[in-house]
Order: sequence, then structure tokens, then C-alpha cells
Amino acid sequence: MRISRRDFLKSASAMGAIAALGLKLPIIATAAGRAKRNAAATISRYFKSTCAHCVNFCGINVKMENDVIRAIYPDSARAEYYNVGICPKGVSGLFNTYNPYRIKAPLKRTNPKKGLDQDPGWVEISWDEAFSTIADKLKKIKQDDPRKLIWQHGHGKYLIGDKFPKAFCKAFGTPNLVHRTTVCEAARHVADELTWGYHGFLPDIEHCNLLLNFGANYFEGEQWARWLDHSTTDARERGMKVVVIEPRMSHCAAKADEWIPIRPGKDVLLILGMAKVLIEKDLIDKAFLIHYTNAPVLIGKEGRVLRNKDKLPLVWDSTTKTARPFSKEVMPALTGRYTIDGKTCRPAFQVYVDSLKHISPAYVEKHAGIPASTVQRLAIELGQQAKIGASVIMDGHRLRYRPVAVHTFRGLAAKEFGVQNWRAGLILQMLLGNIDAVGGINLHSVYKKPKYFKASKVEYPPKRIDLQESVYFPHATHNVAQQVLLTMADTRKYGLDYTPEMQIFYATNRPFSTADANKQFTGLKKTYNVVIDIVLSETAEFADIVLPDLTYLESWHLSPTRYTPATKHTAIRQPVANAYKLPHDGYSILWELAKRLGMRDDYIKQINKKWKLKKYPFKTGQDYTARQAVEHLWLEKTKGKKDFAYAVKHGFVGKKLSSKDTYLKGVEAKFKGPDKPKMNFYAEQLLESMNKVKDTVKQHRIRDIDLDKYAVAFSPLPNEEHGFPTPHREAASYPFYLITYKRMYRNQSGNTALNPILNQALGPDTNENFVLINRSTAKDKRIKEGDTLVIATRLGKVNAKAKLTEGIRPDTVAVSYHYGQQSIDFPDSARKGTWINSVLEYHPDVVSGMTSYNDSKCKVYKA
Amino acid sequence: MTKLVRVIDMQRCMGCRACIAACHVENHFTPGAPWNVMLEHEVGTYPNVRTVFATMNCMHCEDPPCKTVCDTIKVYAISKNELGVVLIDYDKCIGCKYCYAVCPYGVPQYNEKLSNLYPGKQATPYENINNDQRHPTHRKKAGVVEKCTFCWHKLEKAVAAGKTERIGKDQEYTPSCDLVCPVNARLFGDLEDSDGPVARYIGKKKATQLKKEYGTRPQVYYVTEGGDY
Repeated sequence: MRISRRDFLKSASAMGAIAALGLKLPIIATAAGRAKRNAAATISRYFKSTCAHCVNFCGINVKMENDVIRAIYPDSARAEYYNVGICPKGVSGLFNTYNPYRIKAPLKRTNPKKGLDQDPGWVEISWDEAFSTIADKLKKIKQDDPRKLIWQHGHGKYLIGDKFPKAFCKAFGTPNLVHRTTVCEAARHVADELTWGYHGFLPDIEHCNLLLNFGANYFEGEQWARWLDHSTTDARERGMKVVVIEPRMSHCAAKADEWIPIRPGKDVLLILGMAKVLIEKDLIDKAFLIHYTNAPVLIGKEGRVLRNKDKLPLVWDSTTKTARPFSKEVMPALTGRYTIDGKTCRPAFQVYVDSLKHISPAYVEKHAGIPASTVQRLAIELGQQAKIGASVIMDGHRLRYRPVAVHTFRGLAAKEFGVQNWRAGLILQMLLGNIDAVGGINLHSVYKKPKYFKASKVEYPPKRIDLQESVYFPHATHNVAQQVLLTMADTRKYGLDYTPEMQIFYATNRPFSTADANKQFTGLKKTYNVVIDIVLSETAEFADIVLPDLTYLESWHLSPTRYTPATKHTAIRQPVANAYKLPHDGYSILWELAKRLGMRDDYIKQINKKWKLKKYPFKTGQDYTARQAVEHLWLEKTKGKKDFAYAVKHGFVGKKLSSKDTYLKGVEAKFKGPDKPKMNFYAEQLLESMNKVKDTVKQHRIRDIDLDKYAVAFSPLPNEEHGFPTPHREAASYPFYLITYKRMYRNQSGNTALNPILNQALGPDTNENFVLINRSTAKDKRIKEGDTLVIATRLGKVNAKAKLTEGIRPDTVAVSYHYGQQSIDFPDSARKGTWINSVLEYHPDVVSGMTSYNDSKCKVYKA
Repeated sequence: MTKLVRVIDMQRCMGCRACIAACHVENHFTPGAPWNVMLEHEVGTYPNVRTVFATMNCMHCEDPPCKTVCDTIKVYAISKNELGVVLIDYDKCIGCKYCYAVCPYGVPQYNEKLSNLYPGKQATPYENINNDQRHPTHRKKAGVVEKCTFCWHKLEKAVAAGKTERIGKDQEYTPSCDLVCPVNARLFGDLEDSDGPVARYIGKKKATQLKKEYGTRPQVYYVTEGGDY
């Protein structure tokens, strides 16, 4: 008999046969015998769930041994829909739950003085006392003026969904629910909305051949990172070229075909420079510009679109040589100057071309620090690789084929002119015609909200504490997270006719996380604060009452997921443990408060509205546990096709999209051809909003709005002024550009600072941050590795440890923005590093409300 | 014969260190004694620079110098089993660190002292798993050397269940570092299976062993991408 060792080992009875065959397998035999005995002593179970460490919502498979969370693996069934693996935060997520620094009981402050240097004097109280105290205050506010309650969540949105808090606030009567997007990527969303009527896009990586990445860091951490990481890596192996454009060499740049170290804030100049080259070389998709965008519309005096008596925009018909609305008979001109009724006008595209007259590769070299030859080469490569005019047939559909994509996340967004930076990126892609094309960028829910094509209402006085969509931030459609506490510091200054009295923070550490962070804490001192969280973050240190939350491994939720161009899925999160036997999470806290406020049924009605529950609504008159709630949501979302037992067993259900779904339901369906709305190559609504701002400022004698600055931000086309944020113009004596970035091992909410794996096991460099400085710069300044440096901006100074690198521009320094925790309830080991946010200048994008993180300038010297 | 090997594709690795986190969660991390580390270094000068990411764990050499030295001094704490896994028996280890000294890859780690993951706080439920419920490789001891085991506690389960063919495929039978990689930069399996994914990957991508000049014949292969190692 011939038997291979491998075959032999396959047999469960192999060990018993070892002696009989005379084979010597002493080590394995002993071990296997032990393994069998151990298996009997250990009960292993696996649970499919969803990670909630960040906004990727990776599918996970949680391994329990004897009721202890033993390990977390990726859910392999999720690989074909989203994540192949999980990041170190997700892998070590059990320490998000098993963390002795967790809040284990409701806490009440005894020291009335609030400050980062103050001990709150916490005393434990019962849940009943906590709920009674909070509910009593809420009752008074509800009776007096419900707007005086502010609910703020950041990560909380992803722990229980924002629709429960939204339903609560609606039932309560406050408009003041504030999420975090303006400290993340809101400017990118708003640019999308102004341009194509909704937000969110992804490069069609599967078919893309050239990816230009402006500062997106999907190899470390941001939305869609756990799909972009493996999909771009696979695509590179089949030949896709990746060019990363950013001042600091991120992990993305470290693995790219080309890293182009651009000077901070100058991305828009490079994009305009490339556009100029593309136009000069005639490497543009004119058919796309004409049939999908408003590039042909005629622009008259003061930048306004010419319209006929029916308010339809006019184009110049090259056939009849007249100005007419776009129709089947009309051949719109893209260029030229025309006279209508004695007044000159130009197509929007011509306006754009004229606006580029000062821009050239040499200009880009001078201001953005990129060789003119590189600008020229990159533009031509982009234009040629776009294969303008090409098409492919997929599933019987002839589709436009433009295998180039421009991608960004915070790189173009976290700037004073974030909207204009990404508008420049979108316009560049309109020139290439790659939008919703095979291999281009794929838009999400095109023209879902036509109202985004209209001017802002430019509200005054502001209704909301964050000034959203008011005269201050007219197109801030994603709240203005960092503005709340600034307004709180002086509500009258902003024209509010009420002053909030209470803030509830759910799983957010906002004041710690934004620019000019120290200023944020002033606003926290003015209200009664309730914090719901798992650890005592900096925000919690300013609370009057702290309520402990369950972690993502201890609670139920219909989890958000991330679609891709070719897939979508629905998922749940389910509890696997309750480490400190806590009775409540964010969901049940809201439910209890609603009951105590006597508004449970109003809350339920609002839940049904916000979640759009039709077939499986919540019924008034009864309570729902978190599990019951998630069951309703799951059934509604899956249309009852998969019962809840399926969700509990598998954690998710996925769907593959057809090529029709991916490529033909976006701009093809909504914008292509005459008699349809068009993508806003030219964003006229910004001009209209600006005019309203002017009128409102004049009418109400508002003093603190600089109309000249607003006029720059509200340009209908991106231009060179958008490459010069305030500190670049004003802080001339501060020679270095200061940028921030995200590392894989931390988030800003505080709990990751307490994770021993992330901070002790991953290497000696993860428990604190440092200032990245170019080696040649360091040599000039006699700075050595590990020296303590002072980073001084116009706001103040911080110390940081020097890390010398070739991977950053010589005129730039970079510090990651999620270290240097200040909470006095954290151990020293978790407080290491530099809190760079405290010295970042605050110059928000006044269009979107986005915080600027990458516009500051600084001095750097040895401490 | 079965020869278990790991392939690490440095061309794909993005340096996230998820594999390191997975190793340390799976194997009851000893502070100061990591079983898996990430080496990062820059190649080139500004602006023509890139970073090389290399994760390093035990090479499970076919001719392991750690075992040779341990046997030479008659301690016999290090074994190499029939699946190619090199293991240290903590009960036999005398903490002499000779293995530590001779390993060309700097793998063995001396466990200076046992300590809570949260100093000054009560141990977590994860740390409180009793020794009798832990695999011997997880019964950590101060004063001995420890290192990567290829997650032997999983492999032996596969053997016990007669499912060695599922090694490298099923989560319960595959080393954890190889399970979590977000970019599929790691593979684990039987090199003797000539039609298996590991053997094919090594050939297709020209994977090689590190420091071959030492004659240790590592069972970890790397797809390198330039720079120094």
C-alpha cells in the first residue's frame, strides 16, 4: 500500500494508525491528541457581524472561546462584495470592549469648574438617577424652547444609525442635530452636489488604467479603504498605473508608480494646469461636454446664464448662428464670443478657457512646486489614456470607455477652498468624459436631489446652532460640526434668537478633533452636557453626566455598508459579549428618554418616517428592544426576502449589480442629450447664493462676513485664487507648510489610544506621533532624528518629536492629527504625542462649512 | 510529504500591520516580545523615494540554527515537527538566549516578565483565560524565549480533525496573520502540493527566501520588490 503523508494526515483516525504503520510522528501525534482533549474543554463559536471602528464597516467573523472574545477575522463571504481583510484596529477590536478604562456606570460631575486641567470629580450614580436628572432638564427645555437642545454625534451615527437620533430630535422639536462630516470630507460632497445633484463617487478600478490620486489615503484609513486597497492592488498587477499627488508620501504614494510631491494647497493649480494642456492639445471629450454638461450655456454679464422667456438656458447654435435652448436640432458651440441684443456672451466652456489664460505648466511649477515638464507629461498621458471616443460592449450595451480616473478624499476636500478644489477635479473629468464611463469615475445616485442645483436659501437669522445653510455657510448640507461650539461661545454674534442650554454628545470627540481645537472647549463650558461614550474622552471631561455605552461588539444595529461600482449589500451588527454587564446602549438610552419625556409614540412615528418603514413599521404603544428594532429594519431593507435568522447566521446579504445598473442609470439616464438637466460645468447657483449673501449682509448689517473672501469661494468656476488659502497669503513669516494626516492605528475618539495591541504590539512607532521633516531640511537646521521640535503657527506652539524622512517636501512638515490625548482620565501611555489640532488655523470653506486642516503655515525649530 | 510554507508578497503589502495585530491577539501578546514585526525603510532620495514594507516572523527553517544550538547545549527545548513547524517548549527552555543570538532573522524573543496589557489594572477576560484552557504555546512564562509558531494551535487542530488539506483555507486551521491581510499579500499552505496555490504563487511571482547564504532553508518565502532586506 502506498500512502502519502499528506493523505495520511487527512484521516481523522490517523493517529491511531501511526504505531501500526511504524511511522514516527511523535510530535504531531502528541499535539493532536492534546488538541482533541483541549477541544473538549473549549467551546468555540463564531459570529458574523460588522466592524464599527471606522466608516468602512468591514464584515467580520468574531471567534468566541468559552464566552470570551478570542479573535476577530474578516468574514470571508464579504470578500466578493467589499473587504478582503481587516485593518489592525478591527483585528484588535476586542480591546475596544475589553478595556478597563471603559465607563462602567453613569457618572455625575461634582466639580462645577470645567476645563481640560480640571478633575471633574466623578461620582457613580444609578441609571435611574441619571435618566431622571437628564429627563427633568429635557422636560423644561422642551416646554420652554426645544431648540435649546443640541444633539451631536460623530461615530454614534454608525453605532445606531443617525435616523434614531433624528427621529428623537424631530419628536422633541429641536433642529439641532449635528453630525461630523465637515471635519471629514464634506467639501467633496458639496462639490458633487453642486455639480451633479448628489454626492459620492468611486473610481471604476476594475477597468481603469490610470488612476490619479489626489491625497486619498486608502492604504491607511478612510471611507472605502478596505475595498480600494485590494482592488487597486489587483488592478496594478494587471497594469493600471497609479500616480499619487500629495506633499507627504503616504502608504499609497509609497506603493504607487509615481509620487508627485505637490506643495500643500496648490492641487487646484495643478488641475487647472493639466486642463489647460488638455484643451491646448485638443485631448478633450467635446461630445461629453455638449451632451452631458452645461459647458455650452451662454454666460452673459456678471457671469449669469442667459435664458429665454421660459427660463431655459441658451446655447449658441452653430448651425443657425442663433442663441437657442438645447434641442435635437441644435448644435451647441463650446467656444467663441457672441453678441445677443447688443450684449456679449460666451459659452461657459469659453469662460473657463479664458480663466486659464494665466495658467501654464510654468505657472504650476512656480506655485505648486511641480516641474512644468511633469505637468505637461501627466496631462498628455491622462488625455491619451482616456481613449476619448472609444466604447465597449458589455452585456449587450455599448458603453463609453474612458479608463482614467481622478480620485480624492480629504486631499482636495480638507481645505479652505475644498469645494473649488474638487470642482476642479470634476471639471477635469468632464473634459475627459470619464464620468460614469467604463474605467472612469462612477457616481452614486446621480441627480437624486435636484434642489442642489438651486441657490441656497441663505437663511438669516440661522435656525440651527451650526449655521448650516445660513448666510455663513450657504451650501453646508452636511451640518457644520465644528461650528456648534464656536456659535455657543457667542450666540448673539451669529444672530441666533435663542441660546442652547443642553448638549448631548453621542460617541463623538468633536472639540478634540477640529482645527483651532482649544477654542472649541470654550463653547462646551456654556451648556449642561451629557456624554454617551465608552471611554472618558476630552469631550466627556466637560460633561455633567456621562452615560456608558455598549461597544460595537456588544450591541445590535442594522449596520451601514459600503457599496462599490458593482455590488451593494445589507448587513447587521450583533452583540457577542457584554464585558461590564451594562444595561444600555445609545439606542436604549434614547428610547428610555423618549418614554420619560412622554413622547415615545411621537418618537416611534418619526422612526417610521426617518427609516421609511412601510411594510415592517414600529407600532405605537409598545417598546422595542434593540434586537427587535434591528429585525424590523432588516426585514424592511431586504423586503422580507431574508428572515432575521439568516441575518444572525450570515451577517449580511449581498447583490451584484449589472453593467446597466453600474453605467447606465447615472449621467446617461439623467443628463444625456437635449431637454434634460445638465451637469454643472458652470455652477451658476454659487453666484446666485453669493448675491443673496450680499443682500442678507446688507439688510441685517452683519459685520463678521468678509464679502470679498466669500466672493472668491463662491466663484462658478474654480480658479487660481483657490490655490491660495488665507495662511498662504498672510503668514509670510512662517516658512513651512503644515499638513496633517491619518495613520492606520488610531482614530480621534480616544478608545484606540487605549488599545494595547495598537499601541504596544505593532511597533515602537505607533503609541505616539511625530513631525515628519525632510532630511535635507533637517540637515540645514541641524535637526536630528528624535529631537524635540517646536511647531509654531499664528495660533500657538506645540512640541513634537522629529522623524526624518525623504518622503515629504522640504518646505512642508506633517503631523498626524489623532495623538496627544488630553483627557486626565487616560493613562500617560495614552496621552503621548502631539495634539496638532490645537495649533491649526481655522479657515473653513464658507461654501460647505468644511474645516481646513491642511492650510496652516508654521515655523519649526529645536526646542 | 507535507511542507507548510508561508509566502509574503512585498509587492502587494501596503504596510498596514494587520498581520502583526492578528498574530498578537491570536497568540497572547507579550509586551516587549513580539512574534511578528514590520520593518519599514525608505529607498531613494526625495522626490524619487518609496517605502519598502516587510513583515518578519519566524522562518521555520528546515535547518534551524536555533534548534541546532539548543540541541548542542543539550537543552532540547526547540523542536521541528513533521509539518515543518519549529516550536519552543517553554518548560524546557532555560532562557539562555543562544537561539536569540544565532537566528539570522532576529526571531526569538526573550520574555522578560509577564505583565498585564493594562498596567495597574485588572486583567481583561481575554487575559484571564486560564492556562489549562490555553494551548501550551500560549502559556506564557517569564524568563524563556518565545516566537511565532505558524499558529501551531490551529494546525494541530487540523491534524486532529484529519483536515490538513484545509490548512491555508479555513480560518480555524490557518495562521491568523495570513487570514486578515486586506490586500491578499500572504498565503499559507503545503509546498509539496505542486498544484496548490502556494507552490504556484512562488513560481509565478518568483518568491525567494531571505538570507539564503546562512543555509537555513527558510519555510517563509518573499516576493521582493527591491531595496535592502
